[in-house]
Amino acid sequence: MSLFRIDAQPARVPSWVLSWFLFAAGIIAYFYAAEQRHRENPDERVMPTVTQMVRAFQEAAAKPAEGAEAQEAPQTLIQRVRGSMLATDTIATARRFLISVALLFPAVLLGLHMAMFPYMGAFFLRFFQFFDKIVALSLLPILFIAFGIDELSKIMLIVIGVAPTVILDTVNLTKSVPREQIVKGFTLGAGDFAIAYRIVLKQIFPRVLNSIRLNLKAVMLFLFAGEMIASTDGLAYRIALLRRHMGMDTILPYVLWVALLLFAVDLGMSTLNKKLHPWFQE
Amino acid sequence: MSIQIQNAIVEYASRRILNGIDLEIDAGEFVSIVGETGCGKSTLLRLILAEEHPTEGRVLVRGRERKRPDRTCGYVPQRYSLFPDKTVLDNVTFGPEVTAGRFFGRRGFREEALRYLRHTGLSEADAKKYPHQLSGGMQQRVAIAQALIMKPPVLLMDEAFSALDPGTRRGMQRLMKDLWHESGTTVVFVTHNTREAVCLGTRVIALKKNERGSAVALDMDVPHLDFDSDEDELARLIADVESSCWQGTALAHLQPS
Repeated sequence: MSLFRIDAQPARVPSWVLSWFLFAAGIIAYFYAAEQRHRENPDERVMPTVTQMVRAFQEAAAKPAEGAEAQEAPQTLIQRVRGSMLATDTIATARRFLISVALLFPAVLLGLHMAMFPYMGAFFLRFFQFFDKIVALSLLPILFIAFGIDELSKIMLIVIGVAPTVILDTVNLTKSVPREQIVKGFTLGAGDFAIAYRIVLKQIFPRVLNSIRLNLKAVMLFLFAGEMIASTDGLAYRIALLRRHMGMDTILPYVLWVALLLFAVDLGMSTLNKKLHPWFQE
Repeated sequence: MSIQIQNAIVEYASRRILNGIDLEIDAGEFVSIVGETGCGKSTLLRLILAEEHPTEGRVLVRGRERKRPDRTCGYVPQRYSLFPDKTVLDNVTFGPEVTAGRFFGRRGFREEALRYLRHTGLSEADAKKYPHQLSGGMQQRVAIAQALIMKPPVLLMDEAFSALDPGTRRGMQRLMKDLWHESGTTVVFVTHNTREAVCLGTRVIALKKNERGSAVALDMDVPHLDFDSDEDELARLIADVESSCWQGTALAHLQPS
């Protein structure tokens, strides 16, 4: 057995062990380091223990959010969880995230039209190629001035940061559809829009979804930047707030929670893609 | 007259690909266009399809010049002949649906599509499959059904059977000939395989590069043979057509008509 054979075919068990190895190594290394630091300093706050993190996460999931504290105490567990800090933050971030992702679909349509209709391509392409190079975070102060510090500026930041990439990606995907397919469409009596929507868009859509999936992290990155600077709720707002108090016991579970949510969204989109497009092979 | 090509010249970046092609194809003819790779066969087909336009000269299909491909010409390319996102049935019903302006629902065309599929040797079970689940030969059968359901006056086939194994290819050639007999469509069949050109076409046009590298057309007046013809006679005819192509002029008994 050689590790560096390109035709190697790892068996199921070694493959499984290898794929989880870095997770296990990371967790063990953390626990060991945390244990050492706590032994040296019982008030250690940079590397909380598992018990501290679990307790902090449970608190976040049960403790009412700032706005809800004044209200009457919720009765049921579901009501308590729904009004909790964690749920309030998650819902606030998820709402912004979903609006931003939804706004990427018009970007897909724009990219499709730019590639299909040469005059639209001539009008928009150079602009978006340039716009794509602008560092979106550098626009943040302008966005705050233009749109205020409410939701709109954060959503605009995400759209400005990610939409040009999605547009240009869609242009490339559209152009990769073989010319034969478009000619075939014409010979079967399809018009320009029928070809654009019924032949090309349907063919590129699974790849477009993959492209959006790959951009989810960028969406989250811009969303976090916006929330950290100007927000009163959201997961990034909480992390920024707790950073001031060195609340690593909550920050770390929050970071893992965000990663878990993104992973779930990614997995969901991937599964949906396979379900919706059984013909798609990649 | 189904197709008229009048002194068609095609130049790309001052390089001449087709050099003054004159060709007239009657309605109902089965014309094979043969020639070595890169001699301009597919360019000629694209001119008829109206996907490309001549630098000089004119191409008329059923008496009119067209700006872009339309329903006048059916098209079966060598690759990417089917829409990968649609089932076999959806591929075949696509044309009638969009022509009828129906964006949704295919019930009205289902029976007709199945009839065409059966005609090309496919079953109802195949109709539910996606193109990637079919063999190359089956995919081309679907592509032919997809084109023929539109009843195009002209059917253009660009190396349509080139990627198939010899056995499947022979079966497809016979099928194509039968379908042509039944439909009466004018067929222009581009191939680099001389045997295929001679056996399929009622007329063979050979494209030959001249000394400057641009193609000229030689209209071979070949006797019509089919797949069951005498093998020696067929081999002799193929050799004649090929040597004629190489020499650039028609042989004594293969004078251009």
